[in-house]
Amino acid sequence: MNLQEIVFALQRYWGSRGCLVHQPWDVEVGAGTMHPETFLRVLGPRPWNVAYVQPSRRPADGRYGDNPNRLYKHQQFQVILKPAPKDVQDVYLASLEAIGIDPAAHDVRFEEDNWESPTLGAWGIGWQVLLDGQEITQFTYFQQAGGVDLAPISAEITYGLERIAMYLQDVDDVYDLRWNADVRYRDVRHEEEFQLSRYSFEQADVELHRRIFDQALAEGWRVLKLEGGRTVLPAYDWCLKSSHAFNVLDARGAISVSQRAGMILSIRKLACAIAAAWVEVEHARG
Amino acid sequence: MAELLIEIGFEEMPASWLPALGEGFASAFASLREKHGLGGDGGASDVRVMWGPRRLALGASVRERQADAETLVWGPALKQAKDAAGAWTKAAEGFAKKNAVAPDALEVRPKDPAKPDELNLLFVKAVPGRPAADVLPELLAALLRSLAFPKRMSWDAWLDDGKGAFPFGRPIRWIVALHGGAVIPFEIFELVNGTKGPSLLKSGRATHGHRFLPRGAGAAPVEVRGFDDLVAKLRERHVLLDPAERAARIAAALKAADAPEHEIAGEWRDLVEWPAVLIGSVPEEFRSLPSEVLETVLVHHQKYVPIPEGGTIARFAAVTNTDGAAGAAIVAGMERVVVARLRDAAFFWSEDRKRPLADRVADLEGVTFHRELGSYRQKAERLVKLVDAMAAAGALAKEDVDGASEAARLCKADLTTAMVREFTELQGVMGGRYLEAQGHPDADVAAAVRWHYHPVSVEETAAPAGAVAGRGERLFAAVSLADKLDTLAGYFSIGETPTGSRDPYGLRRAGQGTIRVLLDFWPGASPDLRALVRGALEAFPAAKPGTAEALDTFLLERLEAVLASRGFAVDVVRAAIGAAEPAALESPREVLLRARALAHVLGEARADFESLAVAFKRARNILDKDAPAAAVDPTLFDHDAERELHAAVAALAGAAGDYAARLVALRTLRAPVDGFFDQVLVMAEDARVRGNRLALLRETLGLFYRIADLSRLGGIA
Repeated sequence: MNLQEIVFALQRYWGSRGCLVHQPWDVEVGAGTMHPETFLRVLGPRPWNVAYVQPSRRPADGRYGDNPNRLYKHQQFQVILKPAPKDVQDVYLASLEAIGIDPAAHDVRFEEDNWESPTLGAWGIGWQVLLDGQEITQFTYFQQAGGVDLAPISAEITYGLERIAMYLQDVDDVYDLRWNADVRYRDVRHEEEFQLSRYSFEQADVELHRRIFDQALAEGWRVLKLEGGRTVLPAYDWCLKSSHAFNVLDARGAISVSQRAGMILSIRKLACAIAAAWVEVEHARG
Repeated sequence: MAELLIEIGFEEMPASWLPALGEGFASAFASLREKHGLGGDGGASDVRVMWGPRRLALGASVRERQADAETLVWGPALKQAKDAAGAWTKAAEGFAKKNAVAPDALEVRPKDPAKPDELNLLFVKAVPGRPAADVLPELLAALLRSLAFPKRMSWDAWLDDGKGAFPFGRPIRWIVALHGGAVIPFEIFELVNGTKGPSLLKSGRATHGHRFLPRGAGAAPVEVRGFDDLVAKLRERHVLLDPAERAARIAAALKAADAPEHEIAGEWRDLVEWPAVLIGSVPEEFRSLPSEVLETVLVHHQKYVPIPEGGTIARFAAVTNTDGAAGAAIVAGMERVVVARLRDAAFFWSEDRKRPLADRVADLEGVTFHRELGSYRQKAERLVKLVDAMAAAGALAKEDVDGASEAARLCKADLTTAMVREFTELQGVMGGRYLEAQGHPDADVAAAVRWHYHPVSVEETAAPAGAVAGRGERLFAAVSLADKLDTLAGYFSIGETPTGSRDPYGLRRAGQGTIRVLLDFWPGASPDLRALVRGALEAFPAAKPGTAEALDTFLLERLEAVLASRGFAVDVVRAAIGAAEPAALESPREVLLRARALAHVLGEARADFESLAVAFKRARNILDKDAPAAAVDPTLFDHDAERELHAAVAALAGAAGDYAARLVALRTLRAPVDGFFDQVLVMAEDARVRGNRLALLRETLGLFYRIADLSRLGGIA
């Protein structure tokens, strides 16, 4: 299967099991969890089932396109099942068959790996799913998001698309992946990896990014506190922007150990305030 | 009695939790069975518990019904129960009525056995035992609640036991609960909006085997009749329920593959239900990487066991949860993961070597040790100073000073290499490896850098025992000691001291490492630890007064802990630490020798030392009361007992040789000491006589103090 066929297969699979097939969020994020269709929708009592691809930027993981496994931007396929069904593991395993992996012909294991996002005030209990020793999925029962205890509990299933595709296509270098029948991953993304790695490590304007970080947080707080409410979504976008600015500064080596904890905390505070505001609205809706 | 079977089926529980969960399951069941009156006469001996990553199972016998019992219901005092004429009062009749008996059927007994005259009415209520079937659902709920997890999760579950929300380690997916073949009714409900919702699962007689095996029929439910039947049915369905059996299968497979014993294999047992060990190979091109790099990738990242062959790591063993039928494809996948990581490592290995390690020392400026304690560059400079101070104090031989100083300067430089940034557990190791690979002329410097984070374990045989020798060992000891003392002095100076279970900077380990360097590695006479602590603290002028003393105390505790870990009784350790000349921190190794001698001699002549310890404490108490004379004057003696003790002390005063021999010799003091105390009044009226006797006692004690503070021997006096 080429990369886009894997995406089609997962979309079809989860779509046919009641998931809304959504699109990536259009603000830079480090993981599919940060998409508001996950971060906000797991809050409150209403059921929600969604699946989408999320390009995820991790500036510090950039390798200028030189590393066969490491990427500045990789693609996650994210599924949220709220509440988590009783047979959630079986449903997940069946999704592997949908993309051509027969679990009985491999060593598929759920090994303890809890997930935590200090910037989002979120954590969960779960596993990394290993396929013959390779991590292909992070499987998490969310316990808290934005500092709010969750009920019901959502299951989050995050597939690493490149890793799975490398496995299925039997290639050792991500850039050799077939995106479709004719085009390679290299043709689509190599230059982007080089330019964005170089930018994050060498060229990014540190002072500008510090200002962006501060101003994004300030704007997030300002809009969140406006009279009349209904400002959670723009506030959240600003929260995401501050997080990305933080990641760029981090890759740039511009954050000292002592600053680091403080910056993470200030993003988390905004994320928690946003979560609290969202929950309030959800409860008001009943 | 009837057989009880409980199997809790859950989603994959963390392997490291399972042994304790199994134990907790068994012991909680045994005590609940007792509490609910369902236990037999055999105690907990019949309780069998087995587990795997997806289940905990228990087999035991329970009574068919609880034994009948009585409860005592006390009524009014007899004085209030009968009137002057001896007729029942209203109070008595009321109590009888409440218990549905005639007043005459009530008993009269003293409520308090200690006061036999104060009689009360008593209704002895018969409580018939309930059938086990009625009690077991409650017991099961309490049993599930009793399991302790390092971390619990909410999974939207509710138990109808009055406690409501039911967090657990992982979601429960089935429960087999049988009593004498009948299902014990039990139900878990959904938690909806904070309250009880619809049914989530009901107990039954069906278990589930391996997720995927046998092929095409994995995970299908299968009914079981009892514990042995469960074990057998699961075996047919590719689940070894008994952890010991899984461990044996793994051990046999490793042996067959000529794999060496490796502690990581111990973690395999509870990761899988049906272990099959597969063997992969390490491509030729990566075998020349430093063995520690291969070890890190294979063991720490993939939990595989490295298999050496002809001096390199050529293959690895891995456990899978399979029947091995698809082994070749699985091995290919595993090898691909290993190769991806090794390719990264090989890239780092070649890139990092392009720059001499010495050039990286300046880059340490950008690596923070601790916000308040500066960068690693500053730390490295402090280490050089500390090593120089050791040299100035005469603790380092001349020919070692330059090498030790060079190793101290270089030891942290590998923190800036790509390899250590990616594989942090290789810090130190890579520094040594890069120095060797870059042709550093002094192999001993490379060895000192490579090992300086050690020793991390307290055992005498733990690394780097056997890996360093001669000058290499001396340089290692100097740098390792300097690093640990600097870390301790730094954190203590900013008040970051370990408290209770909180020790985020691993200071206790650093303290134990400090002790171990001096005990096990320092060649010749060791430097005075108190002086070194003060030297290390000079770099932190903001330290509060008293920091040095706090560190002394801390290091003495670590010394005690290290010696205790080597099997010495705590009182022996304390007695050895309490001796003087040299003081414990002046020479921890002398403390070890004293403890060894004391333990040995005590084993042979306990009675003599018990008696001496009594005298020792008595003498010390007397010496606290008045000042002895400057020296003993034999002309002031007027008892033979004084003369005999004096002669005996004089005979031993010059004794040299090992501690054990000297302790044995000190046994001869028992008779003269006992004689002295029996016949002589120490606190004589004449101040000169008194002072003289005290001086004699002080000399006697002094003989012991050079070896042990006998007063610390517990359980003796």
